[in-house]
Parts: sequence; C-alpha cells; structure tokens
Amino acid sequence: MSSLVILNVANGVVTGAFFVLMALGLSLILNLSGIINFAHGGFLALGGYIAFALSKYVGFLGALLLAPFLAAILGLAIEWTLIRRLYGRDPLYSLLLTFGLAFIFQDGTRYLWGAQGLPMAIPAFLAQPISDSLFFVTRYRLFNLAIVALIVALLFVLLRHTRFGIRIRAGTLDLETVAALGVNVRLLRSFNFGVGILLAGLGGVLAAGQFRLDPTMGDDYLMPSFIAIIVGGVGSLGGTVLGGLLIGIATGVTTVYLPSASEAVMYVMMAVVLLIRPRGLFGEEGMMS
Amino acid sequence: MTGANGTALSATGLHTFYGKSHILHGVSLEVAAGRITTLLGRNGAGKTTTLRSLIGLTPAREGRITIFGQETTRWPSFRVAALGVGYVPEGRRIFPNLSVEENLKVPLERSGPWSIARIYDLFPRLHERRHNRGRQLSGGEQQMLAIARALLVNPRLLMLDEPSQGLAPLVVREMFRIVEQMRSEGISVLLVEQNARMSLAIADHAYVLDDGAIVYSGPAKALAADEERVQALAGAGAGEWQADDSPLNGLSERYRNA
Repeated sequence: MSSLVILNVANGVVTGAFFVLMALGLSLILNLSGIINFAHGGFLALGGYIAFALSKYVGFLGALLLAPFLAAILGLAIEWTLIRRLYGRDPLYSLLLTFGLAFIFQDGTRYLWGAQGLPMAIPAFLAQPISDSLFFVTRYRLFNLAIVALIVALLFVLLRHTRFGIRIRAGTLDLETVAALGVNVRLLRSFNFGVGILLAGLGGVLAAGQFRLDPTMGDDYLMPSFIAIIVGGVGSLGGTVLGGLLIGIATGVTTVYLPSASEAVMYVMMAVVLLIRPRGLFGEEGMMS
Repeated sequence: MTGANGTALSATGLHTFYGKSHILHGVSLEVAAGRITTLLGRNGAGKTTTLRSLIGLTPAREGRITIFGQETTRWPSFRVAALGVGYVPEGRRIFPNLSVEENLKVPLERSGPWSIARIYDLFPRLHERRHNRGRQLSGGEQQMLAIARALLVNPRLLMLDEPSQGLAPLVVREMFRIVEQMRSEGISVLLVEQNARMSLAIADHAYVLDDGAIVYSGPAKALAADEERVQALAGAGAGEWQADDSPLNGLSERYRNA
C-alpha cells in the first residue's frame, strides 16, 4: 500500500512539474501583459510536435534543446502580429483571440501529424528504471524533474538578478512608469511572452517523452495550470511553483484512493484555499515580489 | 545638443483630453537649457497633465512638442525618455515590490555621469536602505528614490511633478536644494509645484497654469515679487512654513546628507 502511495506521490510530483512549467509561462504573460493565454496548451503541444519532427535529425536531446526556442520564435511572431494589438484593451478580446488560436493550433497539428497519438522515442538510458527496488520510477521521470528544477532556478535568477527580469517585475505593477524611465516596454512584453512560450514548449517536449504526442495534449495541462496560479496566488511565481506541485500530488494521491475524484480534487483544493486565503497561498498586492 | 536659442524643450498649442474631458486648452511653454523653469498652479489646473503630455504618457491630441531639437509629439514615452528626459512622477510611483537597489536598476542605462554608485554618494540614505523594499521607505526616502531613478537615465532635461508633496518641511527644503544642484550639473529642469514660494526662490522662469491654459509667463523673480499673486497661488498657506518652528525638526538629521 505505502509503495503505491509513494508511486503516486512521485507520479504527482512529475505531473506537477509539467503544471509548474505551464503555469509559470501563463503567469508571466498574465502578470505583465494582462493576457490570459488560452493558446498556451497549443504552444505546449506544438513544442512536442516540433521536437518530434526534429528528433529524427538531432535526436531527443537535441530536439529538447531546439524545439522550445522554435516554439518561442513562433510565439514571438504571433505576439508581434496579433496579440500586441490587444494590450490595454478589454480582456475579452485577448480571450477570444487566444481561444481561436488554440483551435487553430489543435487542427494544425492534427492536419500535419494526424489525429492519432504518436510515440516520442527517448534515449534508452533514460527509459530504464532508477533501481530494482524503485522499478516503477524511470530515470526519465527524474530527468524531467531535474530539467524543470533547473529551468525554474534559471527563471528566478533571471527575474531577480538581471535588469531584464527586474524590469518585468517592476512592469507587473506599473508598466507606465517603467516606460517613462526609458525602457522599451514593447520589447519587454515581447521577450516576456517569448520566455512564457519557451517554458510551454519545453513542457511539451518533456511531456511527449513521458506520455505521447497528441494534438489535444495541452488541454490536460491548461486548466490545472490556471488553478495552480490561483492556488499559489496570482502574481507570486514562488506560489505558482508550489501550486503546481500541490495539484500534481493531490491528483496523484487521489488516483489511489478515490480515482473518480482525481480530477475534481484540484477544484476542491482551489475552493478551500480561496475560502481561507482569497488571494491564494502567496498572493499579495506587491505582485512578483 | 539643444534646439535653437538654447531651448531644451518647447511645446506649442497642446490640447490634451482624458476621454471626453478637455484638460489642456492650447498650452505653450519653453524650458531654457540649463535653467530651472517652474510650472505653478492650483490643484486641477492641468499641471500633471501637461507633464504627462510632454513625456508621452497622455499624448496631446493637438499641438507640437520639440525636445532637444527633435519633434517628439507622437512618440511613446520610452523614446522620449531615451532622448535624455528624466521624469519624476506625481506620487513618486516607486515600485513597492522591488528593493531600493532594484528600483535603481529599472531605468534605461544611458551613458553619462550618473551611476548607481554616484547616486549612493548623493543619497547615502538610499545606500543604507538599498535592501529594503520600496514600500518600506518613508515619503522623503521614496521621493529621493524617485529622483535618483530619474537621474539614472542620465537626463539632459529633468521633469519633476510635485516633488515636495506630502513631505515634512525640512525634507522639502532638502529636495529643493537637490533640484538646484541639478541645474549646476547642467541639467535643464521643469519643476511642477504647488509650493510656489520655494519654487520661485530657485527657478529662473515661471509659468502659471489655470484651467488648462497658461495665464502667466515671466521671470521667476518678477512673479515672486508679486506678493498678491504668490499668495493666491500658494492657497491655504502652502509654502508658508518656517524650518525653525517645525515640529519635525529632529527628522532633518536623517536627510541632511541625503
């Protein structure tokens, strides 16, 4: 019994790591630009499919490095042509646009790669279990966790210790003053959007190796990621990380004891957190502090 | 590089709106290079709107703005600032979630004499508090930080929006001393103030704004001599304090070196 719980907690942490990647990107874009990006799951799937196409030439690890950047470049192109026109307008416009984009991505990938799931080959050494006693945990899961931990650490270094990151944090509260201090806020928003999409693309490659490719794969992560942001507290990236992991673990553990509630549990968690702390676990007025 | 006749900034016929309300009715003014120009007026006269139009935050619908010889009328604010325009907004607008040091890292790095190290020399208090969050600072410290932040753009023109607002009298005096010092650094200054007496004491030229239109333009000394007019501008005793009877005297030590 207990090893089953450990297995599901471990699974939950790994799933939670995907939520963390998704939610951090969503959070960056929401905080600085006020855009709720419903196409984020589409970008995740796209990252996976781009990696799938590249892996024939550069292998899985090469694709893991390249695909997120290609997804981010596509994201930048979409931000430049479409999304930036909606900054400062009623959020309804960006909701409609990104909702539409999500459908286009889904049908686009379906058109190019087919509706049925595709397996993504991962290197043999990552496919093995960690040890005989922990036969149920593959090295790939640990690899996923290590990559996500590394990326989260890098993101925090970026936001804390570079001028670019400091300006993003300043801009989440008062973009107008950032602009009046000479900072090109158009570029700032674009790069910030690109970083958000990069994280989604990376999540897509990792998830493709863990599960498989599927045009709707991003949908499985979108709602939990929004909930992770709310549970963690809008504006707090540390809270977003914690929220993502908590939801992953809660879902994993509920799968053991009450499988039918494994999806509902995150909504219950959100309701409980909001009842006790309406701003979420780490939400405060000083966003991204 | 300045425009014709040593003019840092010139604006002609600015009409600015907030939604449908017409705030500025053809404001024209000039800031002479290397001088302090003050823009005075009652609350709601349109002083803040004038500055916001000049920096590009609330673009004027009509009129023309030239800064250092470049027409900037339709420019976004970050381009105007990048020309070398430092802006100290009304209410300071410190980033409350960032430390003092992080606040100082937000501005564009234009080359020039100002660096964070030099800012700490000028404002030792900010150095002491560099790891504190913006929201933990006193009003005076926040104002110093707002000025410091604008200086880090290495401005040739500094625009300040009511820097003395809400500050203790001795801090106000310190603040005006710093603005004066900026002129000796060769920076052109446009100072929007409610504190008419102190502004006129340091300014070279003065404008008075009323209901979105310039109603006086002349040497600051001439306006300062017009007791009746200054009285009317100062309103309910603003600028009437004397350092010696201030109950906040003890506070001054903290800012003396600032």
